[in-house]
Amino acid sequence: MDVELINIHKRFGKVHANNGISLTVKSGTVQGILGENGAGKSTLMKILSGFIQADSGDILLDGKKVTIHSPADSVKLGIGMLHQDPQDFPPMKVVDNLIIGSPMGLFPDRKKIIREFEELQKQFNFSISPETYVDTLTVGERQQLEILRLLWLGAEVLILDEPTTGISASQKDLLFATIRKLAAQGKAILFVSHKLDEVEALCSQVVVFRQGINMGSMTPPYQTDKLVEMMFGKSIVRSENVCEKQEDKSFEIEELRIDDVRLAIRDVNFCIQKGEVIGLAGMEGSGQALILRALAGILRPTGGHIYMIEGADGGRIDLAGKHYFTYRDHGIHFLPAARLEEGLIQGLSLAEHFALAEEQTGFMVDRDQVENLSKKRITDFNIHGTPESRIEELSGGNQQRAELALMRDPLRLLLLEHPTRGLDIESAMYIWGKLKQRCEDGASIVFISSDLDEVIHYSDRILVFYGGKVSPAFEASSVTIDMLGQLIGGKGWS
Amino acid sequence: MLLVGPYNDNGWSTATYEGGLYVQAQIPNTEFIYADNVNIASNPNTTAAQFAEQLLQRGAKVIIFNSDDMKDGVSEFSKAHPDVPVIWLSGDYAWKDGQRYQADLTNESDIMGEMEYGKMMAGCAAALTTKTGKIGFLGPLINDETRRLADAAFLGAKYCWENIAEQTTPLEFKVTWIGMWFNIPGVTLDPTQVADDFYTNGYDVVISGIDSTEAVVEANKFQGQGKEVYAVQYDYKDACKVAPKACLGVPYFNWGVALKPMIQSIIDGTYTRQFVWQGPDWKDINNADTSMVGFQKSDGLSADASTKLDQFISELAGGLNLWTGPMNYQDGTVFLKEGETATPQQIWYMPQLLEGMLGDSVAK
Amino acid sequence: MVTKPAERPESTGGLIRTLLTNRFSSIVIAVLLSLAATWIVISVMGVEPVRVFSIMLNGSVGSVDAVTQLLQSWVPLVLASSGLLFTFTAGLWNIGMEGQIEMGAIFAYGAIHFLSGTPLSGPLVIIIATFSGMLGGALWAYLVGLLKNYGNVNEIFGGLGFNFIADAVLLFLVYGPWKPAGVAQGSTKMIESQYWLPQLPGSYLSLWALGAAIVGILIVAVVLKGTYFGLKLKAVGKNAKASFMMGIPTSRYMLLSFILCGLFAGLAGSIQVTGFLHVLRNSISGSYGYVGLMVGMLANYQPWVVVPISLVFTALSKGATGLGIDLRLDSNLSGVIQGLLVIFVLLMEGVRNRLSRGSKGISHG
Ligand SMILES: Nc1ncnc2c1ncn2[C@@H]1O[C@H](COP(=O)(O)OP(=O)(O)OP(=O)(O)O)[C@@H](O)[C@H]1O
Ligand SMILES: [Mg+2]
Repeated sequence: MDVELINIHKRFGKVHANNGISLTVKSGTVQGILGENGAGKSTLMKILSGFIQADSGDILLDGKKVTIHSPADSVKLGIGMLHQDPQDFPPMKVVDNLIIGSPMGLFPDRKKIIREFEELQKQFNFSISPETYVDTLTVGERQQLEILRLLWLGAEVLILDEPTTGISASQKDLLFATIRKLAAQGKAILFVSHKLDEVEALCSQVVVFRQGINMGSMTPPYQTDKLVEMMFGKSIVRSENVCEKQEDKSFEIEELRIDDVRLAIRDVNFCIQKGEVIGLAGMEGSGQALILRALAGILRPTGGHIYMIEGADGGRIDLAGKHYFTYRDHGIHFLPAARLEEGLIQGLSLAEHFALAEEQTGFMVDRDQVENLSKKRITDFNIHGTPESRIEELSGGNQQRAELALMRDPLRLLLLEHPTRGLDIESAMYIWGKLKQRCEDGASIVFISSDLDEVIHYSDRILVFYGGKVSPAFEASSVTIDMLGQLIGGKGWS
Repeated sequence: MLLVGPYNDNGWSTATYEGGLYVQAQIPNTEFIYADNVNIASNPNTTAAQFAEQLLQRGAKVIIFNSDDMKDGVSEFSKAHPDVPVIWLSGDYAWKDGQRYQADLTNESDIMGEMEYGKMMAGCAAALTTKTGKIGFLGPLINDETRRLADAAFLGAKYCWENIAEQTTPLEFKVTWIGMWFNIPGVTLDPTQVADDFYTNGYDVVISGIDSTEAVVEANKFQGQGKEVYAVQYDYKDACKVAPKACLGVPYFNWGVALKPMIQSIIDGTYTRQFVWQGPDWKDINNADTSMVGFQKSDGLSADASTKLDQFISELAGGLNLWTGPMNYQDGTVFLKEGETATPQQIWYMPQLLEGMLGDSVAK
Repeated sequence: MVTKPAERPESTGGLIRTLLTNRFSSIVIAVLLSLAATWIVISVMGVEPVRVFSIMLNGSVGSVDAVTQLLQSWVPLVLASSGLLFTFTAGLWNIGMEGQIEMGAIFAYGAIHFLSGTPLSGPLVIIIATFSGMLGGALWAYLVGLLKNYGNVNEIFGGLGFNFIADAVLLFLVYGPWKPAGVAQGSTKMIESQYWLPQLPGSYLSLWALGAAIVGILIVAVVLKGTYFGLKLKAVGKNAKASFMMGIPTSRYMLLSFILCGLFAGLAGSIQVTGFLHVLRNSISGSYGYVGLMVGMLANYQPWVVVPISLVFTALSKGATGLGIDLRLDSNLSGVIQGLLVIFVLLMEGVRNRLSRGSKGISHG
């Protein structure tokens, strides 16, 4: 099915999120949609999928004008959307998830549905058991399930809003193969991303949005510089790998054990130096997230010690088993990936967030002071918003920036879950610049990321996780992408 | 007039309401206005005194409070308006020899009927009708007044059982208090349920002490199932009309009898503070113009029992005093010695049920 | 090549949409709708609606006397509603308000009961009674909070349970140990007038009580709008998990919100005793707890909005007492109007959210 969007306008108050965007996607092609954070990509996709309505403009399917008032309308017309943030999945079985979303009558034929589901997933080499519970699936598997569900409902147009964030490399390969196959079957695919390499590898045509405007399109062979310039209005160069290493230790982790329902992690030993960045690499669910939460004091380890070195004489205190607030009081800050569940508070403004995050200065909130602080942080972290903007009004990337901007100064240890997930390259580099400044002031960083490039590029040392096992620390400079890819896939462990 | 319940409750409030209408009809150029449901459950945030103010604003010259429940309103309003005559039905602030005498409320008067006699007749009618020898008393909340009336019903029943029906087996007389003058779901016991329990447990006559009609309605239902059970109503002359065959009769008030002269004296300018506790007109207890307390028989009462009841009434008229010793309280302490008769104070401020009665003397 | 489609003109549909999506105008519409619905209800009952409204207006603000009564009734309601703002802000439903008011009244009356006859001066006893009332309310609320925090009992069920117990305690006291000599009838004997909050001559209104209510709402406004405590409470109410991550001890804050709410409830209860009824009696809470929940909800948890809304609610119930006298209408009509108001406001809220979902709804980045 051919999709044609003509002169779409959408305003959110003062923000002109889509400013006269027109775009045509032919059946059988993969259309890349590039743009920096807040460019209006998700907005356009939500309009096409009926989640929100355009202020004006037309949508044509196979040349016929249609009106889409709700997600249900769009599904009926054959449009399916995979959202940027994973939707809520209730604890139900895979088949039931299919059944409730389907327009079938009162007595759905489970057997038939399961048969159809199995056939469909065989085409794409997925292996999800229809009888497992949805909430036990990984992000990648949920995504696969969602794609299958949309296809099963008869989607001819598939919208994928930043589908590669949060999934493993092999899942990504599988996803790309799936997308190519779907295009070959004649589906029209809209692929939203700010990762140039992915777009270049996958798409038959690319458009670039900037501040709600369609800046132009390009077909292969792609000129990366040109695309970058269209995205940001200027070209960029990767900054240097920074952060001096200092010899003195800041933390010592000894014999740490964690027992989780699905994973047992044993005998983790490593030290963290002042000013050092340690990347934790591994496929999702390999244990790195648990270790990070244990270091933050959110997850209670079942054994071992987390020593914090106090003073030059090497005196140390054991934080293991202490309350999360004690960790915070010692300058340990955790930045969760689930922004809207754990990191930020919907309904509160940016200014209110900053007031909460800072050391309380008295009984009353000093409005002027908070206002000034907010303005400074907003500029510092390049957040598109005002002190009065409520968190849910910010785009995904800007929420991420806000979360980073909430960190207090000074800090001893920063624990980051996917710190640049959802950020475009430029913002990611900018944020890392900020983080590295913290390192120069003596803070240490431990972070996890599913982007191996990021892990190699910004870490001093890397720990690799596989099925609860932890590798010794590698010097980041000595590791290549390929090596890391092998290790997280379980190969090359002695 | 302030009515504690709805004006059409077929009980206490209706009886007092009719008293107001009676005065309006009898004395030219009087007008009767009223507010009903003056109780904290229906109007939690407006006190009786505030309702009285509202009537005053609408031109009322005399304020009548119809319930013991309004005692605080009576004193508050009387103090605030010493120039407005206030009449308190069932009250005792004006009784010099009473325990709650309030000397400073100079314009306040009380009116009550000697319902003891009505209740004795009710008890008698029940005793003359019961086959099982078990009588139930459906009581409201527990206070001096209600204990007084329950005791009177018991005395009447006992007297007629032993002396007129000439029975030798002991009479069983059980009181169950529901907690209020009428049913409040969730707060009081359900009177329908209580009446049901009485009837199914062999109490074939239930004397109602509450302001509503559950007892007779249930009796009617049981009669429909072929059981021979009855109820005695309370308060209002026509209260038996809901189910005449299931009803033996009703002891009732003619409030107009006492209200009329008092209002007249206010108009004439001869009003003085009084405590009125008035009994039946023994010449004709059902004379609407002269008898403050009456007993209206109903279809459930057999001809035989009716004649015997008349005999009892004439004995009362002839001076029979059932408040005569020896008599003990429920806990066995002496109430009246041999030959001693009770004083009005002893009767009004009744502290307990009497020996021989089943049921609680004080709220638990 | 694409042609630019003509701009859609601002139609009447657009105007209605704007009216429905603006918070203020949507409330105005809700009020009009509920008035219309009341109009219909009254007409069906066979009464002239204009008379009903004029009687109600007269009864609530028609005379000095009516106004003082209105303010007197407004005091406990505004105290209850503003106290509830603490728990609402923390995302909690303090259904237990009723019981907390009752406990406040019990403690206040109890203090006077035990101190009357002692050489302590009247004002001093009033102060002690007021504080013990606040203590009683806070204690009762604290129990609900404890059950929620440590017993994992939802505060709605806990609150209902404690309402029930408070009721039972109250009934026990007024029919038992604290009944006036000789009689037992659901109310204690009156406290001596030296222990009454001074009232304006010839009225039921105590300026002290009125002052307490005004100070109360001011405190709530300042605490919720201006302090770190208020901000943190709001954060806890919106997202407890994230608040915890940001270092806020969430369960402590929830408990504190209960205690603060209970203090207000207790104050309302003690004013019912010292400033209004001068007795302890059953139903002394006057349903202010439940009505307060409605007021808080309608005010969308904004302290300043609580003031006019609670006034309107009080005026409705005060104005309605005259209906019984003049038109023989059940005064519960005011309850019907209040209910309709709540329903329509919530309905309009729903419509507003639905229409503006695109711009105010969930953002997916
Ligand atoms: N519900 C909303 N209310 C107000 N403003 C909004 C809302 N949703 C989006 N916006 C604004 O519209 C603009 C475009 O947002 P959009 O989500 O389309 O960006 P995006 O291109 O998907 O960015 P990202 O890569 O960060 O996800 C942003 O400035 C954002 O703040
Ligand atoms: Mg987006």
